[in-house]
Amino acid sequence: MPNATPPPLPPQRPVLFPFEPMPPGYSTAGVVESLLKHPGRVIYELQNNWRAGLSATLLIFALLGLAAYGLVVGSFSGGAQMWIAPAKICLGSLLAILICLPSLYIFTCLAGVETRVRTMVGILFAAVALSALLLIGFAPVAWIFSQATDSVAFMGALHLLLWAIAISFGLRLISATSRLLSGRVGGHMTLWNLIFILVCLQMMTTLRPIVGRSDRFLPGEKKFFLAHWFETIDKATGPQIKAPTRD
Amino acid sequence: MTERFKAMLRGDVERLSVWLAAADPRSLISSALMIVAGSALYGFTIGIWRAPLQSLYTAVKFPLLIFLTCAGNGLVNGMLAQLLGSGLSFKQTTFAILMSFAIAAMILGAFSPITLFIWYNAPPLGSKNASAGHSVMLLTHVFVIAFAGVMANRRLLNLLKKISGHERTAHAVLFSWLAGNLFLGAQLAWNLRPFIGHPSLTVQFLRDHPLQGNFYEAVWYAFRNLFL
Repeated sequence: MPNATPPPLPPQRPVLFPFEPMPPGYSTAGVVESLLKHPGRVIYELQNNWRAGLSATLLIFALLGLAAYGLVVGSFSGGAQMWIAPAKICLGSLLAILICLPSLYIFTCLAGVETRVRTMVGILFAAVALSALLLIGFAPVAWIFSQATDSVAFMGALHLLLWAIAISFGLRLISATSRLLSGRVGGHMTLWNLIFILVCLQMMTTLRPIVGRSDRFLPGEKKFFLAHWFETIDKATGPQIKAPTRD
Repeated sequence: MTERFKAMLRGDVERLSVWLAAADPRSLISSALMIVAGSALYGFTIGIWRAPLQSLYTAVKFPLLIFLTCAGNGLVNGMLAQLLGSGLSFKQTTFAILMSFAIAAMILGAFSPITLFIWYNAPPLGSKNASAGHSVMLLTHVFVIAFAGVMANRRLLNLLKKISGHERTAHAVLFSWLAGNLFLGAQLAWNLRPFIGHPSLTVQFLRDHPLQGNFYEAVWYAFRNLFL
């Protein structure tokens, strides 16, 4: 019919990363809420209203969240792993941040973003903090499985999967930074994200064991992470193994 | 210098073309400093797999290789730039090429903590998996150097397009510079070897009789031994 009213448009999908300031006088809870619901606000504050307190809050939150998840990881083996696993996860994350920070700044510049080092430091802390938040969310799931199996290989694979999901959301923040601050979408930040993931994966092997137990704090043998994974899978699935073991 | 550093990495052709047109000696000095800092840091991580002494030697030789290549090809690059109609003078040609090497050096410098971390995790020389470690190190360095080179040359191409105002001229000039620099650079790298160092040879700053021998002849003999 000529005068029929057109059907209403579906509701607009909310913008995932609104580039706007955080509400004035925000608290720590406000930072957490912004990280989850409006990560663009965190990027805005770090770029336009940088304060050391915000970066410090993000770093502290990241470390506390990772330490909390580390407790769950350590609960699989128990004993000394209850403090070793959180310590290694926090230390490894800090080292990975330090190792990858120079290249993050360079890649940001290559992507055409005009920003300062301290802004990118804060954004990287925010990405790790967001990942840590998600890991806390996954902690009950990981704990249930860690009580239900004796297989180091299975738990290692599960923690890896949960970490992969968490870090993908965290690194989405890094990719969004380039888009929000330069208006351009390019492959530079994606490449950097891949480098960061590879460094983190290698760091897990450098600081092994994190899930299982050992007499030493750090391993005596140097190995690349793929070699370590294949050896672990071989041990877990080899014909000589009758029952999975925690050691 | 920080502003220059950021503008070069961002590929801010407006600013870069203004600096290039001015050909200010400060641009030359800051590019040279960036080349020394970035390539020395990265060179350190190349040589460290063989021995700490090799890492020091490579840290010295990597910037030297870049400067010798620029110096060796300086005249011909300037001439080609003019012959191909870019509008650049000899001085501006030198500045542009040094700027692109500076971009590559900064990218390499930023990757040095990562390559150092990879070295830390590589099975050491003499261990049973040393060859796997060597392969991983080699592939990593190839990838990183290739990436730095591609990024630097993309920035240089955009700058040439802005200055010459003509895309084909920019491509022709870049290609001619690249061909010359790669041709001379490969030979100079041969003369300045070793950079990584062979496990069965002693650690030396330069091999005995460094000016003897030719990179292209060595490649030809290796090809002939393999396939003919």
